[in-house]
Amino acid sequence: MKAITLNINGEKCRVQARPHWSLAYTIREKVGLTGTKTGCEMGTCGSCTVLLDGQPIFSCLKMAVDAEGHEITTIEGLEKDGKLHPLQQAFIEDHGMQCGFCTPGMIVAGRALLDENPRPSEQQVREAIAGHLCRCGTYARIVRSILHAAEMSQNR
Amino acid sequence: MAKFDVVGHSVRRPDAYDKVTGGRGFPVNVTLPGMLHARMLRSPYAHARIRSINASAAEKLAGVKAVLTPGDVPQKKFSPLFFMPTESNELIRDLVLLSENIRYAGQPVAAVAASTPDIAEAALDLIDVDYEELTAVFDPEEAMQPGAPRISPTAANNIARTPTLSRGDLEAGFREADEIFEGTYCTQRVHTCYMEPRVCVVDSDMQGNLTVYASVQHIFGLREKLAYVLSRPESGIKVVKSPYIGGGFGSKLDLVYIEPLAALLSLKTRRPVRMEHTRYEDFITNARHPMKVYLKTGVKKDGTFTARYAKTIVDTGAYATHGPEVIMVHAVFSFFSAYRCPHQKWDGVVVYTNNMLGGAFRGYGAPQGCWAVESQIDEICHGLKMDPLEFRLKNAHHEGDAHPFLKQFTLASYRLADCINQGAERIGWKNRSRTPSGAGTKRRGIGVACHPLWVSGCVGLPDIYEHSGAIVKLNRDGTADLATATIDMGTGQNTTLCQIAAEELGIAAESVRMSYADTDTVPFDAPSHASRVTYSAGNAVKAAAGEARRRLLQVAGEMLEADAADLEVRKGIVQVKGSPDVNLTVAEVVSRAESPLVQMTAAGPKVTTIKEKGSIIGVSSMAPPGNPSPCAAEFVEVEVDTETGAVKVLRVVYAHDIGRVINPAAAQGQVEGGVQQGIGYALMEHLQFDPGTGACVTGDFLDYKMPTAVEMPAEIESIFIESDEPTGPFGAKGLSEVCLTIPAPAIANAIFNAVGVRVRDLPITPEKILAGLGKL
Repeated sequence: MKAITLNINGEKCRVQARPHWSLAYTIREKVGLTGTKTGCEMGTCGSCTVLLDGQPIFSCLKMAVDAEGHEITTIEGLEKDGKLHPLQQAFIEDHGMQCGFCTPGMIVAGRALLDENPRPSEQQVREAIAGHLCRCGTYARIVRSILHAAEMSQNR
Repeated sequence: MAKFDVVGHSVRRPDAYDKVTGGRGFPVNVTLPGMLHARMLRSPYAHARIRSINASAAEKLAGVKAVLTPGDVPQKKFSPLFFMPTESNELIRDLVLLSENIRYAGQPVAAVAASTPDIAEAALDLIDVDYEELTAVFDPEEAMQPGAPRISPTAANNIARTPTLSRGDLEAGFREADEIFEGTYCTQRVHTCYMEPRVCVVDSDMQGNLTVYASVQHIFGLREKLAYVLSRPESGIKVVKSPYIGGGFGSKLDLVYIEPLAALLSLKTRRPVRMEHTRYEDFITNARHPMKVYLKTGVKKDGTFTARYAKTIVDTGAYATHGPEVIMVHAVFSFFSAYRCPHQKWDGVVVYTNNMLGGAFRGYGAPQGCWAVESQIDEICHGLKMDPLEFRLKNAHHEGDAHPFLKQFTLASYRLADCINQGAERIGWKNRSRTPSGAGTKRRGIGVACHPLWVSGCVGLPDIYEHSGAIVKLNRDGTADLATATIDMGTGQNTTLCQIAAEELGIAAESVRMSYADTDTVPFDAPSHASRVTYSAGNAVKAAAGEARRRLLQVAGEMLEADAADLEVRKGIVQVKGSPDVNLTVAEVVSRAESPLVQMTAAGPKVTTIKEKGSIIGVSSMAPPGNPSPCAAEFVEVEVDTETGAVKVLRVVYAHDIGRVINPAAAQGQVEGGVQQGIGYALMEHLQFDPGTGACVTGDFLDYKMPTAVEMPAEIESIFIESDEPTGPFGAKGLSEVCLTIPAPAIANAIFNAVGVRVRDLPITPEKILAGLGKL
């Protein structure tokens, strides 16, 4: 066990971690933020996506001990002052989910995309979420939700 | 048709806010104080006998709290299907929780509960198992041969069942035919790939009562199976419904090893125990049955069927599980009763192999049958030089016909012709070329397939549970709580059932909340499967809401000194019909019903009446009144690269008759999901195994390919033909499964139209296309 400090959503979280624990496992089981979902634990489904210094990563492939000193943003960090992020709002309005298990990963990936490219094309959105599986097949609505969020953010 | 205030509108999903902020309600998030973590040890051999098993080193590892081996668990044989009573004669009970007889690679042999997942995992390595390896057989046709390894001690030649169906005089039918077509059509093993892994947490109290949280499609089925396997009373087991689960698509309709093992580990340790599958474990838990379907079909020159024969071989895997049931649904609803034909026969063979278990998967045997039937119809039409739409219309059932299989019902709402015609119009069917056309390496083609007959639940099918219940309770703020055992696995029931309740109660959709439920507190409900929830659970919710509405109007009648029969409720207001000024809000009526008998007002005590007192509540428990058939026609345009063999799906137009659409956005979502899974089935998904060891070699999402946002066409064009089903809630029928039964043949038929290559075994890989083009 090693004491580490993770900077998650602007808050310092001190946890005792074993060296082989993934960031995803540590966020879920030790920090207690369950929004980050693990669907495969080997970097193939995208459900566990978080931002590490603004870049989207599969948190199941990142060791928790290696995440020290970085800014981590999870789905719980998107709300600001009790207000949903435009992506979250758009996913609600456009029925951008069915079972909802992939939703946090999709929204976090969408956030990374819009931070870098505020007005993406449809194809760019599709490519940005190409590493994310949605077995309910909701892709078209997810893409629409992200494009809608881009519009909402522009109009703010 | 009547105008509705709530039904027919794409109201927001009530669980959407929760899901976009992280989704706290998934069972994978359940943790309890003092919870242990359990893992399973699985056999590396596909066919073996355990000579001995020694777990003493594992038991001594610090942090290990309990170990289970075959000697520690009940050896009672069971069938895992939630939707049928375990004692049903339709089923074969041959599964054992932990057995010394190993019949597939990955069969669990032991389980460990420990204080952390790491310790549980480490303990598995300390369990010493001595296996006697036996010869395995993986091909169902080899397994049927004399001298093949014996898998089931009771099934001669490994044949579990040989059901048949027959009508008319088959030979006479073939004599009447102008032409006879034959073909064999094969399908592969595919996985549902729900995103939330199978997971459960089981707690026990000091008297051995169990509380269970699990990612399943049926809380009552889980209770019944657990009680059966553990020989404990059902009343000592409470299964808690999760607000939603992360997909299921049929896979979560079975008891799997984790729930009874976690229960036994919890009883042994007196601690809550959590078990979660790895993704590899999910892949080898259950899958769609591979089938081989031989068809021989006689037709007149004008395209009329005269005789149809089919033989289906089903690989049921190491244990019977769904085999005996899936083969019947396959036979009836994708072959035998799909079209009109006087002379028909079908033979089925359910075969044991040393492969993984078969399971339920959206469509339950129908995708395999539709693959054969709808592909062959395209071949017949090509042979007869006949339009495939005209051919299907000629042989289709008609609205008002007796149900072709469930004779007690009629096809009261059935508009397949409209599905075909409107879909054809949208895709531009009349401009479709009959023969392969175009120049260059990329050729385009259009194909069609239909699913003429399906179900809205299981009424009339032998030994399948089919009743639903609901509790609707009004609150003093004018809202309502709806409690039902129905599980929303993403299909949107939390939305549509609330809409049905709201419409019936005369309040806004947002005013109905899907509330808590467990097996102790709500009426029995059959599972979320068989395209049944909107219709069957919807009828029960409507009935419960109707009862609550009647009580609401009685109380309002007392308050307004009016006859309840003269009152109506709409948009949260109770009013006298024709005199809208005489009104009360629903909140006022409920508040009055729940108020003390004597109320102190500024003017002194006011006595209200006993008649109006009591919560306003409605309860239902009922079988649905029918089993109406949804039906569908799907049109697909593909582009085939003749250099690489790659197929791209460019357009999908999917026309469904599902009766009244309760929530168009939710319904479209179902169609889009079915098409995603259907494109995967057609072109890429294939669960594969090492031919020597039987071990799964595609047990992760790198090796098991499914369509991503990049492979999917930009838009799935849904057309809903809103027939008015007289027995449905507000005219609704089922959806879900007909979205996945026909994409594969529609794509295959489009490929034939594009390049003239007919592929009869799934998936349609580039290699098969190139081989068909003579390039391999």
